[in-house]
Amino acid sequence: MTAIRTLLLSLAIFCAALSTPSSAETRPSGGQTALKDGQVLRGHFEQDRFLKGFDAPLKTGGSFTLVAGGGLIWRAETPFAVTTVMSPAGLVQEVDGKKTMSLSSTRIPFMTKLYSMLSGALVGHWSDLESTFKIARTGDAKKWEMRFTPIAGNDPAMPVEAIVVRGRRLVEDVVVMRSDGDRDHLRFSSQSLETAAPTSDELALLALAKQL
Amino acid sequence: MTPRRLASLAWLATVIAAAIFLAWHAHRGLPLDTDLMALLPRESRESAVQKAGDAVSRTLTRRMLVVVGHTSRTEARAAALSMSDSLDATGLIEPEAASDAQEMRKLGQLYFPHRAGLLSEEDRVLLGAGRGEDLAKRALGQAFGVGGAGAGLVARGDPFLLLPSFLMQLPSPMPRVAWDDGLLSLSEGGKTWVLLVRSLAREPFALDVQEKLTAAYSKTAAALKAVHPGVELHRTGAVFFAEAGARTAMAEAATLGALSLGGTILLILAVFRRLGPLLRNVLAGLVGAGAGLAACLALFGEVHVLTLLFGTSLLGVVVDYGLHYSSTEFDPDAGTPSERLLSIMPGLQLSLVATLIGYVALTFAPLHGLRQIAVFSVFGLAAAFATVVLWFPTLDRGRRTRAAGWVLRAARQPFDFWQAGRWHLLRLGLLCAGAAVALVGLARIETGDDVRRMQALAPDLVREQEAIFALTGGKAGSEFLLVESADDETALRRQEAIRPILADLRAQGALAGALLPADFVPSAERQRENRLLVEGELNPRLAAHYAALGLGGARPVQVPSDPVPLTLDQATRSGALDALRNLVLAPGVHIGLLQGLARPDLVRGALSHVPGVQLVEPTSEISALFAKYRERTVALLGVSAALMLIPFAFRYGSVGAIWVMLPPVSAIVLTPAILSLAGVPFNFFHAMALVLVLAIGVDYSVFCAESKDADRSTTMVAILLAATMTLLSFGLLASSKAPAISSFGSGMLIGITLAFVLAPLASRRRTTFALRWRKAPKYGREEHGKRSLPWANVQ
Repeated sequence: MTAIRTLLLSLAIFCAALSTPSSAETRPSGGQTALKDGQVLRGHFEQDRFLKGFDAPLKTGGSFTLVAGGGLIWRAETPFAVTTVMSPAGLVQEVDGKKTMSLSSTRIPFMTKLYSMLSGALVGHWSDLESTFKIARTGDAKKWEMRFTPIAGNDPAMPVEAIVVRGRRLVEDVVVMRSDGDRDHLRFSSQSLETAAPTSDELALLALAKQL
Repeated sequence: MTPRRLASLAWLATVIAAAIFLAWHAHRGLPLDTDLMALLPRESRESAVQKAGDAVSRTLTRRMLVVVGHTSRTEARAAALSMSDSLDATGLIEPEAASDAQEMRKLGQLYFPHRAGLLSEEDRVLLGAGRGEDLAKRALGQAFGVGGAGAGLVARGDPFLLLPSFLMQLPSPMPRVAWDDGLLSLSEGGKTWVLLVRSLAREPFALDVQEKLTAAYSKTAAALKAVHPGVELHRTGAVFFAEAGARTAMAEAATLGALSLGGTILLILAVFRRLGPLLRNVLAGLVGAGAGLAACLALFGEVHVLTLLFGTSLLGVVVDYGLHYSSTEFDPDAGTPSERLLSIMPGLQLSLVATLIGYVALTFAPLHGLRQIAVFSVFGLAAAFATVVLWFPTLDRGRRTRAAGWVLRAARQPFDFWQAGRWHLLRLGLLCAGAAVALVGLARIETGDDVRRMQALAPDLVREQEAIFALTGGKAGSEFLLVESADDETALRRQEAIRPILADLRAQGALAGALLPADFVPSAERQRENRLLVEGELNPRLAAHYAALGLGGARPVQVPSDPVPLTLDQATRSGALDALRNLVLAPGVHIGLLQGLARPDLVRGALSHVPGVQLVEPTSEISALFAKYRERTVALLGVSAALMLIPFAFRYGSVGAIWVMLPPVSAIVLTPAILSLAGVPFNFFHAMALVLVLAIGVDYSVFCAESKDADRSTTMVAILLAATMTLLSFGLLASSKAPAISSFGSGMLIGITLAFVLAPLASRRRTTFALRWRKAPKYGREEHGKRSLPWANVQ
């Protein structure tokens, strides 16, 4: 269960960070709408996963699509295809087009908190994250940094030690430091906020997670 | 001082001692037991089955669940924590076994060293089918996917992430519930539901435990609804059902007791038109009930709430003797109080002896509760008898009244009906009808002793329980599989062998799930097989797997898996698996808890060929025991009736004894027949009622048999009053919400009515001794002052 908690919490924080534009009007502290209904955020990512015990990080690259009110599609393309789709109903993962994991939100109640965090973050509300993390903000509207640290310092159930999010107009860099010493370093590029509807391919993937 | 006065004073001293004893108990808190199961016998069943049943029963009856729901997760959690604090503050709750984090840490410490031998069923099937590639891909997906669930294990000796897969498939008693930040939670209907699972530190059938816990819950629930608008709470647990049952039983006891007493008072006042007989009969009733209660407390150390309920109704019976005495004042030729008492002594003594035989027969049924009722009744009736015989003549100093004409006329009707020539045809018709009812009714009689239908469960609590089961998906019944083997390893292998059978049964809808120790700790043999599968299917892929991870040149740190298999003993001692502790009774003796058992017949059939595995259904076993004891009670009834013939044969001769026994025996034969025709299955509690019908019916018969022509009216006044009061008390039980008590009441209602209506038939016994009887002296009149046994003069 700890592994699942790690995944979900990381995902929640990632989504929250991802959806945080950096303009002075829409900074997290401003509490204004970050991603409006009908908007889709697309972009590319590179992820270095540092695992304690391995000399070199696991390197991944791919794209993501965040649909307001719909969910998140996270596609790792290198070194091979791993697609993760999350919707209010749960989470589905496919490797090379074959489903390898599915988690229903009714089976994992923490998903409720996750969605609360995600939907809050999508509209610029941070209260749910603030109930779990202390948030320290530095920088200005042009270049900012937010540091999330768990309020309960020694909670062995908390898989995350700290998260650092950096950005300008949009999030550019996220570091997730886990309690077990592992860490993820994510870099985002080519991000665009669009109003065009998700593609049929994206809708089909989101539907997969909704069917849980 | 005369011997009689001495006896009166001795009895007074005894009553005072009993009163002091009762007051002492009342001061300490009356030890009331409310567990219906406590009424059942401790039969010499197979010891393992009994031990297992006790273990399951203890766990289930002590468990209580509360769910707190709200659209806001924060509000739901806050409300749940308040409720948890409130329940914990009662001091009646066991400390919580482990929190989310503690449980996870302990699970990790327990399983991780043995991970090579631990495979989920799905992974085992895939590896068995040579599909190791699928597992490798899944591990890569988790390692590279968003969030990196369990990815760290890739580097720490579980490159294919088999352990998270094993942990994910561990069974849960409530499959829809999981830990969420230290609280068991689930999402349903747009609400977050927090589940509190608590275990009572004491037995839930103690009244103080029930009252304290229910009060704490109700008070907190009301406060939470005010503080967190929209919060929804549900609760379930034996303690809540027992509290509701006890409350209903106590309320019924109070209501029925009040109605019985009120009816008695009104009836006596209406008939005797003065307070003296009323006060004396109330005194006899109170002394009888007090003596019964004191005897139970002295002999058993406690009294069951059902005994109290039956005992309260005994008030309606113990007045029989007093009323019989009081009615003699309507005889215009009656003498002094002592003479009047002596004139009815044969009847009183005979009826006491016969009634005691009836009650003592109850003690032959090895049922704890019935023995209590028997003791209560025997001592209660004997005390009432002593009060009437020793005190009434002394206390009876008021003026005598004449009975109202209508009372005497009404009372005489049954006698006239059974003797007057003008009713001959009607009597014949009734006789034929009675015979037809008996034949048809008994021919189509059905029995039904299902204990689940014997208990009146509070409907609101049943609804709350169903809501909790629907939310949590955990509908655990009391049924279980008992696995018996020489050792743990064999028991675990047997469970692994029946897993596919249980899966088939689940697919057929015969059950919803099962919780077996082997699900948590595979047998050593299975762990060896798993290890071989991993070595054969996955280890050859290790280099390619690391290469796919992009770590071809890296040297991951390997934590070797412990080649020694995980044992059940290790697992139970680890404290990581609380559920397992209740499933292992002894080495080789395990329990498999069944969920949602819908078709026990299919499960029993499917497992019939598996050695050492049996389905145990405690509820069905209890129902079977009720059926067994119903049969035994009916047999004892026959024995009682036969034994009663002996004193009657001495008194009336063999033919006369049969005439005297005819009315009560007819009543106990016709009652089940009438119930049968009414479509009511005959059960154990009906049979219990028949025991009392026999005992009380014999009273009426003896009073009629002892009645002379001139005394018929006054005798029947006494019987009419007694029967009316018995019906008031016992008949009212038919309206009880508890089906068991209602069954008892309906049996009494029909049986006593029949016994009363048929009682005058017993007067026909005089045809045998008619001449001698007429020449016999009228006791207490011609020979007043003599204290020889009255019936010694008959011969």
